[in-house]
Amino acid sequence: MKSLSFDLAVSLIAGIFVCLIVLPMLALFTATSFGELINQFRSPLVLSAIAISLETSLIVVLLALCLGIPVAYLLAMKSFKGKEILDTLVDLPICMPPLVAGLALLILLGGNSKFGSMLRNCGIDLIFSKKGIIIAQLFVSIPFLIKSARNAFESINKNVINASLTLGASKFYTFKTILLPLARNGIYTGMIMTWARALGEFGATSMVAGCIPFKTETMTVAIYQNAMSGELAASTAVALLLLVFSFTLLLIFKSRVRGQAG
Amino acid sequence: MEMGIVLKEISKSYDGLTVLKNLNLEINQGEFHVLLGPSGGGKTTTLSVMAGLTEQDSGSVSIGGRDVSNLSPDKRRIGFVFQDHALFPHLTVFDNVAYGLRVRRIKGHEITRKVEYYLSKVSIAKEKSKFPHQLSGGQKQRAALARALVIEPEILLMDEPMSSLDAMTKESVRDELKSIQQEIGVTTVYVTHDQNEAILLGDRVSVLNNGRVEQIESPSELFHHPKTEFVARFVGIKNILKVSPIRINNHEATVQINNDGLEHPVSIRVKKYPVFEKRKSIDLCIHPERIMLKREDETYAGDLNRIRGKIVKRTNNGNGFMAIVDIGGMTLHASISSDFKVHENVWVCFAPDAPHPLCGKKCREPEQQRKCFVTTQVDRLKTEGC
Repeated sequence: MKSLSFDLAVSLIAGIFVCLIVLPMLALFTATSFGELINQFRSPLVLSAIAISLETSLIVVLLALCLGIPVAYLLAMKSFKGKEILDTLVDLPICMPPLVAGLALLILLGGNSKFGSMLRNCGIDLIFSKKGIIIAQLFVSIPFLIKSARNAFESINKNVINASLTLGASKFYTFKTILLPLARNGIYTGMIMTWARALGEFGATSMVAGCIPFKTETMTVAIYQNAMSGELAASTAVALLLLVFSFTLLLIFKSRVRGQAG
Repeated sequence: MEMGIVLKEISKSYDGLTVLKNLNLEINQGEFHVLLGPSGGGKTTTLSVMAGLTEQDSGSVSIGGRDVSNLSPDKRRIGFVFQDHALFPHLTVFDNVAYGLRVRRIKGHEITRKVEYYLSKVSIAKEKSKFPHQLSGGQKQRAALARALVIEPEILLMDEPMSSLDAMTKESVRDELKSIQQEIGVTTVYVTHDQNEAILLGDRVSVLNNGRVEQIESPSELFHHPKTEFVARFVGIKNILKVSPIRINNHEATVQINNDGLEHPVSIRVKKYPVFEKRKSIDLCIHPERIMLKREDETYAGDLNRIRGKIVKRTNNGNGFMAIVDIGGMTLHASISSDFKVHENVWVCFAPDAPHPLCGKKCREPEQQRKCFVTTQVDRLKTEGC
């Protein structure tokens, strides 16, 4: 009897959790009519926000691959002085509030800083531009790729790598033909997580790139702008689209994780 | 004899822990050399240093007369078979074996010819399209061997490759390995802690302990004439007497047993060996087959040594019974007939020529050599195994 009461209590608490997650999402679906949603998806402003978000987040995933895989390899395979520091730096953007990250980037890249002036003199203007969005999204999302790829590299049997070396393969050939294929699932998972994080990024992006319609207004920024200016239908349309994106990416991620476990 | 591998003064430490201490080892061209020793003795590190997978702190490594001390593994022309097979899980058996050839940019038809040749040599040609997870342990081992051999390495290094195989598979893989090695003539270094494998496979065996080579011999020499107590114990010799000579006559010596734990001094008569005149403390071994147990009321030949004891354990070792007899703080192993019982008081009897020194030299002339436990074991394994 006691056991039954306990199970009931736990189930009730779980029910509260489900409500906490599901009710706000249901609220989104009920906020506006289907026809209005379709109209909003035809709006140039909404379409522009979607395009900017997709473009920047996909570029971020590619950049994260180029930067993150070598860092993940280094952390997984090598012992060196400062490894702990590098490891902490990888974790830092996850723990750091995005607004703090955005402010730091704004100070570094803004025209008042030496680095920002130097970039501007070279014709590179990162503030209030798509490039700024990409930098901000990369800053907050790259740890997900590094951590996932690192775990994947670490799970590879060291003797498999040694076998490749003793068969005459160079380290690069071994990396290309053994490590990358074996870490593939972990890297894919990292890419999905990075993409999801980049798509949902708001704080750092709005600090660095601002909210310029048709130029730097991403989906999350559009949600905020429209909601604040009373355009609830437009805000809801973009939010629902992001929700569908997130849900789909999460499903892919979970199936990947299951695949790895199997 | 041309040298296959020469290790000179190799030392290696990990985090202050010394694993190899000035290790010297010379392995002949074409030899099947076994590194035998307990876990932590430095066998795998030695193999790893030969392969270039571990960098030695000091010393040099030569392969076929070529100094490879500072070369990376990919430039040493070696084949390596790992304990866990280390097959590439995402590649088929064919692609695993072809890997080393593709690294060398060998043409496609030549790759196919060579891979199929070695796959049939190790009897897994039918499995070439399978992935490693679809293979049995023995098949994985064969695939790993084919992968190491197909590149025609100068030396073949094998790190306890059969430790995960069942007894029957182990036997068949072992026989094939020995015949392939003899056919190809590749210098092979094989790491194991299994003395039976060492007997059956090795042309010579090195016993490693605490990062040093304790003894290098042919298997039969090693088992008949261990140099040190460690080697003797490791190759299965149970009875080691630490003695000091009391009296030395023309043909015999009287010695006192000083093993740790012995409660009362015990003197025995033994055959005289030159080492008695050189050293005050000598290790003697007696094979269990040379010990006879007599009941307290039984008569015995007058020239035998006899020590009072009590049987504390009796085991069946597959070929007969073995009694462990407490002689007062230390135990001796004796081969017995089945009618002795545990807790029975007995006389432990042995002839003066039964104990012989652990010096690594022949303690008896060949015509005087008797069949003892180890001789029997070596002969049995050689006959049954090969």
